[in-house]
Amino acid sequence: MPDIGGYSIRFALVIALLGFGSAIYAGVQRRPEWTRVAERSVWVVFAFVSIAMLVLFYALATFDYQLFYVASHSARSMPLHYRLAALWGGQAGSLLLWLWMLLAYSVASVWFNRAKNRTLMPWVVAVLLANAIFFLILVAFVTEPFERLQPGDTLSDGNGLNPLLQHPVMMIHPLMLYTGLVGFAVPFAFAFAALVTGELGTNWFRTTRRWTLFPWLFLSIGIILGGRWAYEVLGWGGYWAWDPVENASFMPWLPATAFLHSVMIQEKRNMLKTWNLLLIGLTYTLCLFGTFLTRSGIVQSVHAFAQSPIFTSVFLGYVLFSALVFFTAVAYRRKEIRSPNRIESMVSREAGFLLNNWVFISLLVWIFTGTLFPVISEIFQGEQITVGPGFFPIMAGPLALFLLFLTGVGPLIAWRRASLASVSKQFRWPGVVGLIASLVVGFALGESATYYPTMCWGLGAFVVATIVQEYALAIRARVRKGEENALQAFTALLRKNQQRYGGYIVHFGAVLIIVGMAGSVFDEERLENIQTGDQFEIGGYRLQYLTANAIPMQHYGGAVARLALYRGEKPLGVMTPEKRMYWLEQQPASIPSVHSSVIDDLYVTLTAIEADGSATFKVYCNPLVNWIWIGGYIFVLGSVVVIWPHPDRARDSQDG
Amino acid sequence: MTKGVQIAIGATAIAGLLGWYGATNLDAAPAFTYYKSLEEFRANPDARSGARSRFHGYVAANSIRRDVEAMQVRFLVQNAPPHAEGESGVPIEVVLDSLETPDLFKDGAEVVVEGQLVAGTAGPVFEADKILAKCPSKFEATPIDSTES
Repeated sequence: MPDIGGYSIRFALVIALLGFGSAIYAGVQRRPEWTRVAERSVWVVFAFVSIAMLVLFYALATFDYQLFYVASHSARSMPLHYRLAALWGGQAGSLLLWLWMLLAYSVASVWFNRAKNRTLMPWVVAVLLANAIFFLILVAFVTEPFERLQPGDTLSDGNGLNPLLQHPVMMIHPLMLYTGLVGFAVPFAFAFAALVTGELGTNWFRTTRRWTLFPWLFLSIGIILGGRWAYEVLGWGGYWAWDPVENASFMPWLPATAFLHSVMIQEKRNMLKTWNLLLIGLTYTLCLFGTFLTRSGIVQSVHAFAQSPIFTSVFLGYVLFSALVFFTAVAYRRKEIRSPNRIESMVSREAGFLLNNWVFISLLVWIFTGTLFPVISEIFQGEQITVGPGFFPIMAGPLALFLLFLTGVGPLIAWRRASLASVSKQFRWPGVVGLIASLVVGFALGESATYYPTMCWGLGAFVVATIVQEYALAIRARVRKGEENALQAFTALLRKNQQRYGGYIVHFGAVLIIVGMAGSVFDEERLENIQTGDQFEIGGYRLQYLTANAIPMQHYGGAVARLALYRGEKPLGVMTPEKRMYWLEQQPASIPSVHSSVIDDLYVTLTAIEADGSATFKVYCNPLVNWIWIGGYIFVLGSVVVIWPHPDRARDSQDG
Repeated sequence: MTKGVQIAIGATAIAGLLGWYGATNLDAAPAFTYYKSLEEFRANPDARSGARSRFHGYVAANSIRRDVEAMQVRFLVQNAPPHAEGESGVPIEVVLDSLETPDLFKDGAEVVVEGQLVAGTAGPVFEADKILAKCPSKFEATPIDSTES
């Protein structure tokens, strides 16, 4: 049975090479019938890789421990859903998943463009298949998911999956992240096709914008879920540690977000063409580079895959080669993509968007430098120097505030040139709201009022006020026409101008996320070693240690502590942090217990039951954390509004 | 002066301002840490005395002492895993000023300790405020786990 998987991969590789050849031939010779051949081969490759995926799923489901991958990433004691999720728990399997997603995207872009963009398509297919060929070679020869153990070594049980990964969020987080990272291959392919054919008009980026939004949304979801998982599983009371693996997923998000903004300037004003192409190239390169970073082990991370030198050099070569080809193509066409228009005034929406782009790119440069500092310092100083998590917020803080400011300002300034009168009219109410909010926050916090939270929450209020004002004015205008009530007008806005009004919802979600993060300035934490019956206070809560019991589970043992939680004299419930030991994997895990509200989270981990019978707890009080997740939901909702395909939208986008 | 030049000047000014801001604030955070093996650290400890550093090694067998009264954990770090063949070298004593240790911290675990070297009564002691522990895993999954105090 596993042989079918290995053969499928090899067969898919042959077809992909043939398809790539016909795509190039079709592109160079302008032979549309060969484009069809190339497009059909995409379907065939997809079908064979799907078979390989199913074979691996089947092997994981049926305990096929002849396979090295199955034996090292699953165990009989794991429930079916975690055994299946083990497909992306290790290097080889996750590469197979990456490959499958890439082909799924390729099939989708072939299907949606079956009657459109015909001159671009051979090159789009060529780029997508070239990427697929690389991953096919990896899973066929370098890290094989279907590698067998030596005949004598067949095991009766596997090694199991890292228990930290056995969590519901971890079943979906990698899928979301890959749907995001891999998906940027499509805009990359379209941009490259436009460069090769010289058809640098409006077609490629109209097509590309939607193909960028989709992976961008999933990347956003993946990043938020990753934070959520860290918060619930890793037990250190936080959701983001500026770890290389986190940065690797965040770095491509920055130029992608910049692109989604600056592409609007290209749509409206036919400017920044080169810049947009560069952003697309940068985004995809960073997707690949991030994958390389987390899998090669060149920087230390909480999350490391196996480190094989072949894999490292092959993958780095691939990343550099794709970047080189793409950016050479941009340089080659630089004269043709020079834009006829210029920015007319620094007080204009395009200037605002341009600033926004610079902020995103500055953030990227800073995070990139910090993440790769061990490598950079090794090259220049001969010593590995790491930067702590304290390095990143130095810049990320002020840049995030500036970005927040632009979020409010940008949409209110007119295109081309805004008059002073219109600016002051637009900003009157939001400005007042922001000012009042800052003052209220400042007074409410009293002595603990510092620069960051006051600025952040004041600006947050300002942005929300601009969004409310935009909606209110537009709804009022529609209602005054007399045909709609307020609710109908609201839904009509989301339908008719989903890009703009959905975008505002995304902004609202982002504001809540930033506001929630600013709460971390007031985080409290304590380490307490206490006997049963003792109590202590943190952040207005009172915790009393009741008992500790052994955990009566089959796959893991350990202790669960019980603490009574009070606010004043009012009992709020019982907290049950656990210290687990997974027998098979020989790995301990601290499972925190969290009491969550819209004001703050009380987060308790059991560090140890000491020899003298006392217990050591690490307790955190994290204000406003919940708003990050609430903001995340709204962010996703807004993105869905933007992407949602309306039947009348195809027509709208035709006339711009 | 064309708009392009104006924009270039603006961009340079902003980049310079940000760079200056970042550079002046770097000292505020204990951001930079050297990373070396215990041997490399031993070979040149003076250059780093007082400076934050970090090194990696292995927890010596049966060396972990949790002192609940003093809220400290003391342990020895050596060059090689306890059960490996060959020289494990002279261990160094590490004091973590906290009872909070990572899940994977145990006898024989590979650890990365961060902090500074101080003179103790019985020789130099490394005062750690952060330890990371790696899991000596059989195949490829190698989670690292950290704690900060």
